[in-house]
Amino acid sequence: MNNLNLVRGVFLVAISLAFGLTSFGYKIGDFSRAGPGLFPAVVSGLLFLIGIASVIKARYVKPVPIDYNFRNIVIIIVSLAGFAFISEHINMLVGIFFLAFSASYAGRNNSLKRNIKIGIGLSLVACGFKFLLHLNLPLI
Amino acid sequence: MDIFQNLALGFEHALTIQNLMYCAIGCVVGTLIGLLPGLGPLSTISLLLPITYSIPTDGSLIMLAGIYYGAQYGDSVSAITMKIPHAASIVACIDGYQMTLKGKTGLALFTAGISSFIGGTIAIVVLATLSPALGEVGLLFGPADYCALMLFGFFCVSFVTTGSILNGLAMTLIGVLLGLIGTDVNSGQMRFTMNLPFLMDGVGLISIALGCFGIAEIVKNLDEHTELTPFNGEIKLMPTWPEFKRIIPSALRGSVIGSFMGILPGGGPVLAQFAAYAAEKRFSKYKDEIGYGAIEGVAGQAAADEAAARTSFIPLMAIGIPENAVMALMMAAFIVKGVQPGPNMIATHPDLFWGLVASMWIGNVFLVILNVPLVRYWLSVFKIPFSVLFPSILFFCCVGTFSINNSLDDVYITATFGLIGYIFMRLGLEAAPLMLGFILGPMLEEYFRRALLLSRGNFGTFFTRPISGTLLALLGVFIAWQLIAFFLESRKSAIA
Repeated sequence: MNNLNLVRGVFLVAISLAFGLTSFGYKIGDFSRAGPGLFPAVVSGLLFLIGIASVIKARYVKPVPIDYNFRNIVIIIVSLAGFAFISEHINMLVGIFFLAFSASYAGRNNSLKRNIKIGIGLSLVACGFKFLLHLNLPLI
Repeated sequence: MDIFQNLALGFEHALTIQNLMYCAIGCVVGTLIGLLPGLGPLSTISLLLPITYSIPTDGSLIMLAGIYYGAQYGDSVSAITMKIPHAASIVACIDGYQMTLKGKTGLALFTAGISSFIGGTIAIVVLATLSPALGEVGLLFGPADYCALMLFGFFCVSFVTTGSILNGLAMTLIGVLLGLIGTDVNSGQMRFTMNLPFLMDGVGLISIALGCFGIAEIVKNLDEHTELTPFNGEIKLMPTWPEFKRIIPSALRGSVIGSFMGILPGGGPVLAQFAAYAAEKRFSKYKDEIGYGAIEGVAGQAAADEAAARTSFIPLMAIGIPENAVMALMMAAFIVKGVQPGPNMIATHPDLFWGLVASMWIGNVFLVILNVPLVRYWLSVFKIPFSVLFPSILFFCCVGTFSINNSLDDVYITATFGLIGYIFMRLGLEAAPLMLGFILGPMLEEYFRRALLLSRGNFGTFFTRPISGTLLALLGVFIAWQLIAFFLESRKSAIA
């Protein structure tokens, strides 16, 4: 399955089915009085055809392996989501520290001390935004 | 004479202290961010879009335009000095970097700066002359014609942006579908919201732009472990008179090519630079030196790059069709500010339109007087390690996204699109056509439904109207050509 063209085709088909099948749950109407489901159904249908064409094409071209490394994207997404979660449940200042501290682990030359420094530095910048520039940030 | 009067109105508007300040800030900030590795104009605008929210409409658009051409200039600086290009400055790497290796960094940067100025100035004349005329043509368009025009634009841009029409088109369609998330304006039906209240108004444009471009780009740089060596060389900026004389003809040729390429759908700075470089290799008096650090190799492409960046505003402001991803983001900024680009823009917002045109020229002057002498200081940005820089960029992304609606839900959406953008990137699907589809999708649906409502469901309306009929015929030829190429390529691969 480690074939870029095939995975791309399957991915496109999956997206088209997700939107297409949902759009059939809305009123379709007819062309003279289109319902909310008609246009997304047409667009999903076109995307489905392209997905199928990509899958078929993948059978005829030389397989290309997918180059991926989920470590960094996972760290960044967890940092962003963590920022939102902590800001919601504790406060934004802690959220910003968490964001800077945890995201720094995606960098190549990171150390606990340096990550803490970046976290504190950006928290101070946020305080500057709030108290000097009067930006509406619920820091505390 | 109208043009002069209009330009005078524009300068009157752009030369207020406030707008001058926004223009200068845009140029400087754009240059600084544009210098960073992997961050071209597209990522720069998407990252800085939220900071323009609290600024008045004219100021924010002038600032964004400043960010755009500032980022382009910054991009060429990193390409010339360190051979770190982005899409907007690929060609600058060739002769520009060769000049750096020969110890002529200052001359290369001066050439790029002054050529950009010449290119930008000529393009502004083209912009001021052609936009109103095209705007009048735009008024002849009915719903069916707009629908056909958008379809045509989708196909052209999908093709040019990615090289593979299937992938580009697929991304455009995904963008259209994402654009439909939220409440249907005709029926009030919630579509694809998964019963999440914060999706009722749709997905935020900024969240998609930051996620798919900004965050995906940062992670790409982290994955590639790009190591940079700070530039510490001496810089001598001013050229000798014989060197200066070599800049002018190349810059003029590049300006003409760039102005023309910028107007074409799917054109824009990237193609313009290549075309100008090819022209220099063919027509320059010093064509044998090109490729080995010739002034002409930098001057022509820099002028074309800047000229195309300016004239690519023409399709956006005159007929409301963004011709590339950067213009799609600019269009987003216009819409967020309550200005609908299109045939009526010049009539309804003349001060804004002409102010923006005038500010482009002022931005050019700023780039020359601020950036050329200050370039040695700009280069110190490279001394900040990327591992320190990227958490700061993420911080600005989060604060920017939050401050749009004071909502943390937008941060979650941005994070989600960061992941989706990364998957797209790894699957070789470019996010640029997605952005185009996202912006034009809801309009396409509106015009599509309106055209069919007026014709009582008769699809003939798309073919019988002269404008839409012609556009669809061109589209048919284009698709047939692509299909033939696709089958030939598949057959060739199968045989191999």
